[in-house]
Amino acid sequence: MSDDKTNAAGQKRLDEFAEEVKDLNVSGGLANPERTGSIVGIVLMVIGTIATVFYSIVKQGDLSASGTDDQLHELIQATNNTWFAIWGLALIVIGAALWIRNSLTRYLRYWLIRMIYEDRANTDRLIEALRDRD
Amino acid sequence: MDEQVPVLEFLGVRAGYGSIDVLHGVDFAIAPGQVYALLGPNGAGKTTTLGVASGQITPSAGSVMIMGTEINHVRPDALARAGVCLVPEGRGIFPNLTVNDNLRMFTFDGTSFSDIKERAFSQFPRLAERRSQLAGTLSGGEQQMLSMSRALATNPALLMLDELSMGLAPLIVAELYERVAELADSGLSILIVEQFAQSVLGVADTAAIMLHGSIQRVGDPAVIAEELTAAYLGAGFDE
Ligand SMILES: Nc1ncnc2c1ncn2[C@@H]1O[C@H](COP(=O)(O)OP(=O)(O)OP(=O)(O)O)[C@@H](O)[C@H]1O
Ligand SMILES: [Mg+2]
Repeated sequence: MSDDKTNAAGQKRLDEFAEEVKDLNVSGGLANPERTGSIVGIVLMVIGTIATVFYSIVKQGDLSASGTDDQLHELIQATNNTWFAIWGLALIVIGAALWIRNSLTRYLRYWLIRMIYEDRANTDRLIEALRDRD
Repeated sequence: MDEQVPVLEFLGVRAGYGSIDVLHGVDFAIAPGQVYALLGPNGAGKTTTLGVASGQITPSAGSVMIMGTEINHVRPDALARAGVCLVPEGRGIFPNLTVNDNLRMFTFDGTSFSDIKERAFSQFPRLAERRSQLAGTLSGGEQQMLSMSRALATNPALLMLDELSMGLAPLIVAELYERVAELADSGLSILIVEQFAQSVLGVADTAAIMLHGSIQRVGDPAVIAEELTAAYLGAGFDE
């Protein structure tokens, strides 16, 4: 019975379906870009913090403690350190933005579902009350 | 005729809520294009079965196979996007949104809003007349039509309907099942859950009786319907 029912278009859809489901089984349907995004954000923030602290405090401190006479060399070093520290700060900002964006959407989605749910309960009560009136 | 891979297959599936088991080893298979009716009384575990098949409940034992692939741990949203469509018990709609806005929700898989509207309104003209009405103020039958238009609009590969007829007048139920029959004719594989067999007799190829979390009988819908009626009238099932 089922054989003459599955026409060509139906068969194509089924093949497609089989393919998609097979892919899902590999990933468990768990490929979650938001989680990846927030993890990348955290990693960037950590790297940024380390870079900033390293170049602005450790290297810069070494430089002033070294007490060489080569003023030009020292100036170049100091400028470089400042630039690396600024790049570190930039990483922190980018990381924070990624992290906030990706962890907040998850939270906001729950919030939205909660709101829809409550709204639905309210609508139900309202409709009930209106029906009882007449 | 070679054996076709079932669209949906349960192999010794056990599942439940928390520590309470509801399904105690469920086995069945739905072939491509088949319309399978799962019948049984309140609390038999029919809705739970659909929950497992749609990925909302993870089985504690056994395998749930879709097109020959085990999907025990696949997330429900991923399955929905792939083409598993569940029309849930009660209403699968947002009552505080208008009919139009509800239809807009079905665009999740990439189908365009105008396509969805066209398909839904051509199948259910009554929805077109009420497109700006709040869905919660529709009649029960119209709400079920709206819920079902997701199945019509998103081109699923496996459709599951949970108690479509619940609380509706027989005439409306007949109208809804006419649409189901059309979908079945187009080759869609369908799992219908109902408490009573009457409404599905014209549509189903195969029927099964579920009782206390396992399938007790599988067979021709007409025969199964009689057994079920006898059981509801108190004769019980002879093992
Ligand atoms: N969310 C839940 N938490 C705990 N137990 C549940 C939950 N949902 C259902 N159950 C229990 O699981 C059993 C089977 O319920 P299920 O909803 O699958 O039955 P059903 O066959 O769909 O019944 P009905 O015809 O009334 O819809 C019942 O005993 C029910 O109390
Ligand atoms: Mg149920």
